[in-house]
Formats: sequence, structure tokens, C-alpha cells
Amino acid sequence: MMIPNRKEYLKALANSGQKIMGVLPALYPRELLWAFDIHAAEIWDPPGEILHANAHLQTTICPIVKRSLEFILKEPDIINAGYLFPHTCDSLQNLGTQVKDLIGVSLPVYTFYNPKGSFNNTTTRYYRDILQNFQLSMEAVYGPLAPDKFLAACVLSHKIDSHLMAIQQARMTDHLSLNNAEYFKLMRAQEYLLPTDYLSLLEQVDILDQPGESPRARMMVSGILPPTPEILEFLDELGVSIVADDLLAGSRRIPKFPMDAPVSPLDYLTDRFFILPPCSTRGGDLDERLHHLSKHMNASQAQGILFDIVKFCEPELFDHRLLVKTLRGKNYPVLTLETELENHISGQDKTRIEAFTELLFEMVSP
Amino acid sequence: MADLYFAGVDVGSLSTDVSIIDHSGKLLSETVIPTGVNGSEAAEVAFDSAIKLADLSREVITAITATGYGRASVAFATGKTTEISCHGVGAHQLFPKTGTVIDIGGQDSKVIQIDSHGRMLDFTMNDKCAAGTGRFLEVMANRLELDLDELSSPLNIEGESAPISSTCTVFAESEVISLLAKHTPREHIVHGLQRSIVNRIWSMVASIGIEGEVTLTGGVAHNRGLVVLLEEKLGLTLNIPENPQTVGALGGAHIARRAYQSSLELGPN
Ligand code: SF4
Repeated sequence: MMIPNRKEYLKALANSGQKIMGVLPALYPRELLWAFDIHAAEIWDPPGEILHANAHLQTTICPIVKRSLEFILKEPDIINAGYLFPHTCDSLQNLGTQVKDLIGVSLPVYTFYNPKGSFNNTTTRYYRDILQNFQLSMEAVYGPLAPDKFLAACVLSHKIDSHLMAIQQARMTDHLSLNNAEYFKLMRAQEYLLPTDYLSLLEQVDILDQPGESPRARMMVSGILPPTPEILEFLDELGVSIVADDLLAGSRRIPKFPMDAPVSPLDYLTDRFFILPPCSTRGGDLDERLHHLSKHMNASQAQGILFDIVKFCEPELFDHRLLVKTLRGKNYPVLTLETELENHISGQDKTRIEAFTELLFEMVSP
Repeated sequence: MADLYFAGVDVGSLSTDVSIIDHSGKLLSETVIPTGVNGSEAAEVAFDSAIKLADLSREVITAITATGYGRASVAFATGKTTEISCHGVGAHQLFPKTGTVIDIGGQDSKVIQIDSHGRMLDFTMNDKCAAGTGRFLEVMANRLELDLDELSSPLNIEGESAPISSTCTVFAESEVISLLAKHTPREHIVHGLQRSIVNRIWSMVASIGIEGEVTLTGGVAHNRGLVVLLEEKLGLTLNIPENPQTVGALGGAHIARRAYQSSLELGPN
């Protein structure tokens, strides 16, 4: 399965005349953008080195915000339709203001204030309202929204979700022939591939009829981004399979259960938003998240959980302490790594990971 | 299992340690040498010297576990295991009632919880800096122009320990310079430094808790002043091995022995 490189792919798209909106993580109405023929490309990953952004940000801001700003400052030729800042956290919200008012990019800057809190009358009404407002702001630039295109975009999104759910299930039960590194590369490709390209990639994924070889140990990961490719490869080498995740850049974007095919786009998007797994960035209930984690640990038979925490990520750090305490109390082995999205693992982190896997191996040894 | 021998080779950042045991687990020899710049060479030298001390030859060693930060560089090892697991097993061999191991190594410190078989249950390790490690003491010994032995004495003169509020090596060193400039007695500064490490270790212990007896391993366990303060802080008496530096290597040797035994039980594939 060939997955194109993010930067090269987006550059080629921009050169072909495709409208591209630079989107900050993590939850935003991509279907509405698709309906206006705008490609939503998430810009939280490249580039690696942060040089220009540091001049505008405090040292205690998370590296994702820094990377995003670095991208905005350094790659002005890829994004051509504007930037969209969902209210994932205060740091991203402030970055939106900064980019718009202080740094002064020439492209339009949009915001999208996701509701914080779970499903109820007020939050659903609010969510529909901001969807409609966002639609209006797009219509002001691109003309009236074509209802059939909006529905088609939701149908595409529904298909992608169905594939992702099947793949997620296959991974839990060892019916997937992808290793850790390949799996997360596939998950993250949705951040920048055109939905049609992404769907055809998902259609190529081989789901086995019979379970493949069992890994030496099974692990769940939680946090914002998956561990760096180097860590994933190291886990592959050790024979540890990540069988479930609770990542903002992973399963937290996949509905908890299958939905009916869309009929009314607005209803569909609202329903979808509220059946996403609990998430620290949406002010979710901690008990609900714990329940979700335990359920996935059990379903995937994961022996331990790895929290990969992005340094200075406030929403995750709020939840993390209590989650660890409770999971440890339930005798789940827990390891926490704090990352600044470095490309290499330090010797100490390598030892931590290896020791953690030794602990998991002991649990499965006779 | 007669005439079977097992070794653990612990290539740490400061020292390389080797332990050799026989089939019954009896310790035959131990060596500790500085690692220097070449971990794999240090492993060869330390291993040869331990073999010689045990009056054996390389060929009769059945299985060898490499551990420590340089574990990947031990080409002659038959297996590798992290120092975290090795310290757990080593401490269990020496003090079977150990439930918690505090290892203060040259470059990092760990707190490890183990079960009644020496198997690791949980662990925590210090962050990516030298706070609370042997390296911290080394830097301070240089600054105070003391050798490590002198840095290990408990406070035995009148007065308070000097307040060193920082656990960071760089900031603590500046504090030491200021204290020296104010003519603070060196013994008080030493005591302040020991307290600073103890506070750092304490925060790690607090994050995973204490179970059973507590065994202190790693070269810093030789520091008597620090041991007194740590015992005071934890409110218990620590198990101190005779050779705290070689506990990881000893654990490695026992892991090699266990692995060999279970391969016999499982039979050839
Ligand atoms: S990592 Fe955390 S703080 Fe940073 S952008 Fe994401 S949610 Fe916000």
C-alpha cells in the first residue's frame, strides 16, 4: 500500500488548482468543506524543525501549535483557501487570533467553536447553529451550497467511517496484516489525502478471514498523536502490537458505533459529532472516558496502556493524572511518555518502553 | 544442571559490571570497571576479568544477559533485558522480601515495584536530566573539590544543612558556587546536596508507592549520608547490598539462568 508523502501530495494538489484549506486539529466539519470542493488538509505535522514560530509563541506552548504556526509561516504556497481553527484547546484558539490579528496572513482565517460537553438539547442546538454559521461564511465566498453535493460529502464520510470501523475491529482481533507503523500511517493519511483517495486506500486494506499470528504482547495507546514512527517500529521489533487506541489523531475521530446512511446532512453531522468517543478536548466526562478505555482494553485484550502525552497539552494533562491513578488501581500496567514530537527516541524512553514490554511479556508468560 | 554457568553484563553510563553465577544461583565472581568511551570494549574487559576471577573459561558460560544503557553493544550476550527488570530480579535474590527497589544509577534513577518472585509490577524513571543521579553527585564533587567518598559522609558537625532548593544539576551547581562564596561549611553544602537528591527520589517513590521491604541499589547506595537521609524521609530501614553497583548484573545472570531453565522445560521447537 503506497501512501504519498504529505507535503509532496499537497504541493501537487495545489499546483493542479485544487482549493485547499489549512485545518488545525482536530474536529471540524470537513464534509461542508468538501461540499464546496475545498480540500481540508490538516497542518499539524510537517515541518520538523521549529524556527520561525518560536518568535511568536511562549516556550510553554505545545509543539503541535508551534508546528502548525511554523507551517503557516514557512509554506505559504500550499494553502490557498484559508485557515480553519477549531476550538480544540485554548492554545489553538489563541493561535487563530494571533494568526489573524497579529501575524496577518493574507488568506482568510475561520474559527469553529465546537461545543464542550456531552449530548443534550443545548449542545446539539448549538452545534447545528455553528454548522449553519460556518456554511454561511463559506457561502459568502464560494456562493450557495449545493444540497446534493453536501449530501454526497456526508455519504463519502459515512463510507470512510464504515471502513475505519471495520479496520479498527480487525486490528483488535488480529485480523489485520498491518504492523503498528503501517497502521498509524494509514490512520494519519486521512489528515491530508482527498477523501476519494483516502477511501480507495482503505478499500485496499486486507482484512483477514482468520486471525493472524498473535503478537507477543498487546498494548493500547492513548493521547493526542500516535507514538513517533521510530517508537512504532521499535514496538514492532519487540513483537508488541497496538491493538486499540484512544488517540485524538486516531480512534477519537471514529464514531463509537455504526450510523445509518445520511439523509439530512445537518442531522447526520450533528448525530455523528455526539457519538464520537469521549475526548479531553471536548470537555468530556472523565468517568465516561475511563469506561471507554476499559471497554477497549477488554475488547482488544490489551495487557497494558501507553499514554503518549504531548508536552504542555493542557486538555490531556488535566485528565491524565486521574486516568493513570484509576487504571493503576484496577491493576492495568500503565506507562507514560512525554513527547515534544521529536523524531528520535531517547535512550531513556527506549529503556522505558522495553521495560514496559518486559512487564507485559511476564504477564503473558506461563 | 551441573557445571552450568550464567553471566549478567551491565554496561552502565559510568561503570560496567559483570556477575557470574553457577547453576544453583551461587555467586562466583563480580567485577566493576569504568565504562569509558567504548561500552562494548568495557564489556569484553569486565567479562574476561570476571571469568578469570571465577577460574572459568568463556566457553563454559551457558547464557549471558546484557543489560544497562549499552546492552545492545554486548555482542557476545545471548539475550538482553533492561536494567529495570534486572535490578528487580537482582534485589529479589539478595533480599527476597523486597517489594520496592530504588536504583540510583550514574545517569538515571528508577523506582521499581516487584512481586514475591522478583518480577516487575511497575516502575518509574527520572526525566531526561541528571537530577537525582550519580552524575549529579559527580558534578558537585568536582565543584567542591571533594572525592565521592568525602561527599558521602553524614552531617557530623553542628548546624543545619545548606539549603539547595534546585534538583537540576546546572542550577544546583550555581547554588553551590554561591554558598561557597558565602563561606558556608562544605559539610553543610554536602548535606544539602544529599537532601536535594533524596527529595528528587522521594517524588518518584511517591508516584508509585512503596510495597514490602525497600532495597537500594546502584553506586550511590555507597553514600552513607544519603542513605541516612533517605531512611529518615521514608521512615524505614533500607536493605543495602554489599555491592550495590552489581545488583543489575546479578539480576541479569539470574535472568539468563531462568531463561535457560524455561527453554529446557519447553524443549526444542
Ligand atoms: S496537543 Fe493539546 S494543547 Fe496542543 S493543540 Fe493539541 S489539544 Fe491543544
